Amino acid sequence: MASHDNDTVLRHAGFDRAFHWINAVVVLLLMVTGLLPVLGVNFAWVKIHWISGVLLTALIVLHIVRALFWQSVRTIALGGSGGGSLPGKYTMPQKLMHLGWMLTILVVIITGWFLMKKAGVPFFERDPYALSLRTWGVMTLLHDLASLAAVFLLLVHVYFGLLPEKREYLRAMLTGRASRAVLAQDHDLEKVERGE
Amino acid sequence: MSILRFGHDAWGERIVNGISWDLLPVAFWAGVAVIVGHLIWRAVRGRRNGG
Repeated sequence: MASHDNDTVLRHAGFDRAFHWINAVVVLLLMVTGLLPVLGVNFAWVKIHWISGVLLTALIVLHIVRALFWQSVRTIALGGSGGGSLPGKYTMPQKLMHLGWMLTILVVIITGWFLMKKAGVPFFERDPYALSLRTWGVMTLLHDLASLAAVFLLLVHVYFGLLPEKREYLRAMLTGRASRAVLAQDHDLEKVERGE
Repeated sequence: MSILRFGHDAWGERIVNGISWDLLPVAFWAGVAVIVGHLIWRAVRGRRNGG
C-alpha cells in the first residue's frame, strides 16, 4: 500500500471529482435543453433549464468558496509560475481551459438569473418590464454567446480529456490519483506540494 | 449568414434580441477545427520525433 502511495499522488480530492462530474452533467443538461429547441427539437425545456441553472449556480458558489478557503488559488492562476521550466499542478493550456469555462459559466449564470426574472420562476415573480427591451436583448445576446462558447469549449475539453497521452489526467479525475512518474514529465511536483 | 437576431420595440426601433443561431454551427466547426488542427500537429510532431 505504501509503495502504491509512493507511485501515485492524490491530484483531485473526492469532493472536487464529484463537483467536476456533477457540473459536467448539469452543463450538458443546460446545453441540451437550451440548444435542442434552437435545432427544431421541441419539448417542455424551460423548467428543466432553469432548475439546472439554479443547480449550476449552487455548484459554482460551492466551488468558489472551496477554492478560496480550502484550496490554493495559485494552482490555477495564469501568472506567477514561481520560476522554473515546469508548471505546478496545472499546465498553461489547462489554466486557459479553466479560464474559458469560468468566464462562460459566470456570464451564463448572471444573465440566466436576469432571464429567469423575465420568464418567471416560482421564487421570482415574472416581470418583463424590470429592464428595457434593449437591455433584455443584451442579456439574451450574452447568454446566447456564452452558450456558443460552451459548445466550443465542450468539444475541445472532451477531445483533450480523451487523448491517450493525457490519459493520466482523466484517470486522476476518475480515481483521484495519478502516476507520480507520468505527472513529473510535465509538472514540477515540488511546486505541486507547495500549492502552486 | 447573420450575426445577430433583431426585433422592434413599441416605437418601431430596431433592437437586438440575441445572437443569430446561424452561429451555432460556426461554434461547433470551430471546435472541430481545433481538434483537427491538433491532430495534424500531433501527427507531424510524432513523425519528426520518429514515433
